[in-house]
Amino acid sequence: MISCIEFIPAYSELFKFLEQKGGKQAVITFWEHLSDSFLNNLRDLAAKKGLAGCFEYWSHSLSEEAADFKMTLDEENNIFTIEMRKCPSKGRLMEAKHLKPYHAYCEHCDLLYRRVLEPLGFEYNIDLSDCENAACKLVIKAKK
Amino acid sequence: MSDKIKVLDYKQSDNEYLHKDFHGALCYAIKYIDERYGFEATNNYLQMVGKNIYPPLIARIKKDGLVALVLHFKNIFELEGGKVEIVYGGNRLTIKVHECPAIKHLRKTKQLYTHRYCETTVQINKAICQAADYNCTCAYKPGQAQCVQQFWGTE
Repeated sequence: MISCIEFIPAYSELFKFLEQKGGKQAVITFWEHLSDSFLNNLRDLAAKKGLAGCFEYWSHSLSEEAADFKMTLDEENNIFTIEMRKCPSKGRLMEAKHLKPYHAYCEHCDLLYRRVLEPLGFEYNIDLSDCENAACKLVIKAKK
Repeated sequence: MSDKIKVLDYKQSDNEYLHKDFHGALCYAIKYIDERYGFEATNNYLQMVGKNIYPPLIARIKKDGLVALVLHFKNIFELEGGKVEIVYGGNRLTIKVHECPAIKHLRKTKQLYTHRYCETTVQINKAICQAADYNCTCAYKPGQAQCVQQFWGTE
């Protein structure tokens, strides 16, 4: 058993392994598969409750992942944001000196969640420009 | 602040790091590699994980012997809440897992479970022991959430 606290390095190694097998496209194909098959919880919550469902989903997961973040649900303006000050995944990968994170590690967050939310009618934007500091900003807007 | 605005603001130290749904993501990964690339590829991936993410543990085993593995497994099972019996003496360590916390969580939350999941233990232990110059076995029956892992020195 890989403990769940050791999963993130194993995940990063998986991306490297898939890239060795079939290039970046093999990694993207896996992310698409994971989004379609594993993220039903987010899909169901967002479909049922809208942005409040997004808030519920990430409240649970980011708390359990001990992230350093500020999450805001503004139902008046139909905007949900996550300001990730220190991503628990990327942060831990960077802290462990013996690990070399997959070069496009943070891109999985863009693809996995965008693929769930855009078909439901949400506008999805993620700024990964500061991901080398384990920081990013996610903005999701709902159609009024 | 308007009652239409909700804010959650946490620091890393506000919560314990324990996200058991990651076990589900790993199950999907194993099933995916099995189906797309075959069992041997999955085994290669898991051995790559053993070799690349556990160098600190491998170094401790080389330095302190099997007691390093005792501490490693105690930490994991205390954290994840599994039922385990650890027997260590001389040059042999036996880990009897009576209830695997990962499989228990997958079932409780009705997530995907693949019978190949326990190969994570088999292949990762194998990679760690090869690197640390120890021997190991892991006997399990798929789906039972139980296994017996044994470790012993090469001399």
